[in-house]
Amino acid sequence: MDLTRITLFTLAAAVAATAVMVPPGLFLAWLLARYRFRGRVLLDTLVSLPLVMPPVATGLILLMLFAPRGPIGGVLGRIGIDVVFTWKAVVLAMAVMGLPLFVRTARAGFEQVDRRYESVAATLGAAPLRVFFTISLPLAAPAVIAATVLGFARALGEFGATIMIAGSIPGSTRTLAVAIYSFAETGRDREAGALLIVSAAIAFGALWLSTRLTSRNGLRA
Amino acid sequence: MIALAFTLKQGDFELTIDVRLGGGVTSVFGPSGAGKTTVLDAVAGLRRPAAGSITVGNRVVFSSAEQVDLPPHRRHVGYVPQDVALFPHMNVRRNMLYGRRPGQRPDLPVVARILEVESLLDRGVGELSGGQRQRVALARALMSSPEVLLLDEPLAAVDVELRRRILPYLSRVRDEFGTPIIYVTHDRAEVAEFADEVVVLEAGRVVQHASRAEWRDTSGPMSQGAS
Amino acid sequence: MVPLLLLLATVAQSSSPLTVSAAISLSEALEAVAAAYRVAGGTPVVFNFGGSNALARQIVNGAPVDVFISADEAQMEVVEKADLVRAGTRVPVVANRLVLVVDSRSRVKAVTDLGVAEIRRIAIGDPVAVPAGVYARQYLERINEWTRLQPKMVPVANVRAALTAVLNGSADAAFVYATDARIAPALRVVATITGPQAPRIVYPGAVVRTSRHPQAAAKFLEFLRTPPALAILEKHGFTPVTDTR
Repeated sequence: MDLTRITLFTLAAAVAATAVMVPPGLFLAWLLARYRFRGRVLLDTLVSLPLVMPPVATGLILLMLFAPRGPIGGVLGRIGIDVVFTWKAVVLAMAVMGLPLFVRTARAGFEQVDRRYESVAATLGAAPLRVFFTISLPLAAPAVIAATVLGFARALGEFGATIMIAGSIPGSTRTLAVAIYSFAETGRDREAGALLIVSAAIAFGALWLSTRLTSRNGLRA
Repeated sequence: MIALAFTLKQGDFELTIDVRLGGGVTSVFGPSGAGKTTVLDAVAGLRRPAAGSITVGNRVVFSSAEQVDLPPHRRHVGYVPQDVALFPHMNVRRNMLYGRRPGQRPDLPVVARILEVESLLDRGVGELSGGQRQRVALARALMSSPEVLLLDEPLAAVDVELRRRILPYLSRVRDEFGTPIIYVTHDRAEVAEFADEVVVLEAGRVVQHASRAEWRDTSGPMSQGAS
Repeated sequence: MVPLLLLLATVAQSSSPLTVSAAISLSEALEAVAAAYRVAGGTPVVFNFGGSNALARQIVNGAPVDVFISADEAQMEVVEKADLVRAGTRVPVVANRLVLVVDSRSRVKAVTDLGVAEIRRIAIGDPVAVPAGVYARQYLERINEWTRLQPKMVPVANVRAALTAVLNGSADAAFVYATDARIAPALRVVATITGPQAPRIVYPGAVVRTSRHPQAAAKFLEFLRTPPALAILEKHGFTPVTDTR
């Protein structure tokens, strides 16, 4: 077992997953914070689903969608993109599981931004996108940063969905969490223990950072 | 010329207005709850009338008949809300420059001079006094070259002493820029000193529209503006 | 009064269900055997199916199991080493064979064809400890194909997971037991692993030392080796153990 390699792979995948979840996450957080529209409650529920459903269940849904015979997997397969049992599946699982947490936290941040500022900015000639980037996002920055850290931390610890669609392939899809499981299952307790310590240390660091960021700005996520 | 001819519903409240305003300072006067801020919101595009039209200068910014409803960022209005709402994450200079498009008049130094905020340009918003915030907000609105200025009770949160010092700035704005101003207030003294024409609102209806000279406070006891 | 209660207690004891942890490849076969056992007047049996390595770990960590049936000797050794096998109860139960399965549309005709580009992923039980995976690796090592094929290997938790992977298309081939292939007729069996390099696949069973119902457990294990039970097992594709141990 290569502890360094597993750790670096997990970190890289979590960073990639965070990058993947932030743009749609910001959009959804913004939409749910600011707009009333038909199907809003439905959207909110759908986005929150991975938070409440068992992760393996979410993983199963992803598997059904992205397996080579699935609706999305089939299309991707035709253009030569393999998802299941590759690093892409790891990033996908992490992003899907981290997204609800990100949206929740970022949304709270946007809701706290006084709409007056946005209205005034609009009257000063700023189109909605400019208002978002120059007013709403900067004012919600602490919450958005905390949301990013939380999403990253969730991605790091992701297991249930990951093992469903990415498996535990040494060298290509073995994340820290998945490796701990595989090693424990096959009796390699010492390796599992070492990974456990690394995993706990990273999780601790990420959460501590996130708490520092939110409490400094008087925000509770 | 500004034409306001619309109805707007908000819950149980209904506002009906049909006036043509000249190019100077129009005071929208009345007790709280009369619908004065709603008029400004409608002109700015922050609230949508149920029916009617709004014309600013020679542009129709809203018309239910012709299905025109320009979003706020295309209406070229300068709105100073009651709580001023200076952007807290920017300093004075950046607040003022927010609405300005490149090459546009007026220039920052000109506006800063007229409103005497030159020394404040690099200060953070939190470091300003009440009166200073008002002037910066006015300057910010002016810097976006609006076709109309909408001021919502600009002196309501300011004490009497300060009021006497800020009013001249408003007059200066009127004189130096010539931008039409719609000015919401419940203070008679401000109307008397500043307005060219008066629109009196009560419970969502216009009860009087007159020039300042003709305006008479014919309604019952109202705030003397001495709070 | 007291004798009556004691009698009731013993009756209750003897008809409280047995917990049997068994290799997942035995799922359908053992359920059928348990049904026959019940009809024959035996105690009800509750099964816990999974990868034999996972089951062994559970027992070692204190899971209240009465009987353990593993898909290989190595995992039974794990339990024996932890001093959790009741003396004298370890017996061979049944035998099986390894097969290579692929999707029915695949053009693979032999194990040596697995090197082609068309085969991107081969699902096997984790070759470190899951018996089906260990058997597959042993075989491939013996025919000198392991190093070449290892990059394509997708280790999964147990043999049924390997089967599922080919069924849903996430793997192109899998090494499973002959008994597993029978429940997935949509797949094509490319080869049944036999011959001198084939692994000898024997499932040992034993009574767990900490069992609360050692007599009932021993009785069930005994029943498994009687002709009626063997007939059911063979119907599901298992083969009788040929050597005597």
